[in-house]
Amino acid sequence: MTQVDKTLPGTSPWSEFRRGLAAMAPALLGLVPFALVLGAEAARKGLSPLEVLLLCGMNFAGGSEFVAVELWNHPIPFLLIVGMTLLVNSRHILMGAALAPHLRHLPKRKALVALFFMADEVWAFGIHDARRRGGLGAEINLPFYAGLSAALYLSWISMTVLGSLLGPLFGDPGAYGFDMAFPAVFLVLLRGLWPGYRAAAPWMVSLVAAAAVHILVPGAWYMLAGTLAGLTTAYVWPVQR
Amino acid sequence: MNLHLWSFLTILGMMCVTYLTRITGYFALRNRTLSVRAQAVLEAMPGAVLISVIAPAFTSDRPADLIALALTIAVATRGSFLITVIVGVSAAGLLRQFL
Repeated sequence: MTQVDKTLPGTSPWSEFRRGLAAMAPALLGLVPFALVLGAEAARKGLSPLEVLLLCGMNFAGGSEFVAVELWNHPIPFLLIVGMTLLVNSRHILMGAALAPHLRHLPKRKALVALFFMADEVWAFGIHDARRRGGLGAEINLPFYAGLSAALYLSWISMTVLGSLLGPLFGDPGAYGFDMAFPAVFLVLLRGLWPGYRAAAPWMVSLVAAAAVHILVPGAWYMLAGTLAGLTTAYVWPVQR
Repeated sequence: MNLHLWSFLTILGMMCVTYLTRITGYFALRNRTLSVRAQAVLEAMPGAVLISVIAPAFTSDRPADLIALALTIAVATRGSFLITVIVGVSAAGLLRQFL
């Protein structure tokens, strides 16, 4: 196989990398409070800064980290946390399928590294950039993708660890209303996923089921019950976007 | 700086399933199309989980909490993370003082 130089005229891998860093900058503004809240909540649940670093650095998927921290307890409910992580991150399967045509030209080794960093924002900017330049068949611009990934990854792990160090200084979150930060972040995440009123019916079923189970059954079963109720709804009445 | 064995194993488990979700689409779905039902379930999944996780906030019996939640939802439909967190936290903090 011949190696073809894919660099665009007037660009270098380094300039493409910097373009990736810059493209991610606006998204980072929104990420900082989100990361600080996660770190602070993790510290309150007893995770050390090192554990926060590993959680965010190894898993690198914010939504699932929020759910894990919410479930964190002693003893740690290992299966529940790993199972919920799988459910929250299952959307990556669709994202990976959409990105796959743009990775076809890469050696598998490089594709597997790139996929580790496929967070929502990296995916969105990366796929948009590839399609803008060459449609469905376009190869992903790897230095650009690396810039996106580096900006998001380094900000994410540093800001969550900072949150875990600063969080304990604020004391009991319920006293000031800091406990509302958590639902607030989730609501903005949900807004970002909003599929339209009809397709959001499963969410409403999830909410009602989870709330009812939370009132009636002690423990964390409401999460699983709510999720399964919503998925059953989506299966029975599938709405295509 | 402490790291407990079960904390590490849990994080490791999360990493494995998360990475699995990231590579599955690439390997398994490269040349396949999903059924409408499978797509609907996959698309509904993250939202169903997230809304289930915060469902207890909707069951509070304190009017202050419920009003603060309603305000937070209203802001979340348009606002950024930062604005929504600030409004949510200050609304909850202030309303609890007065209601």
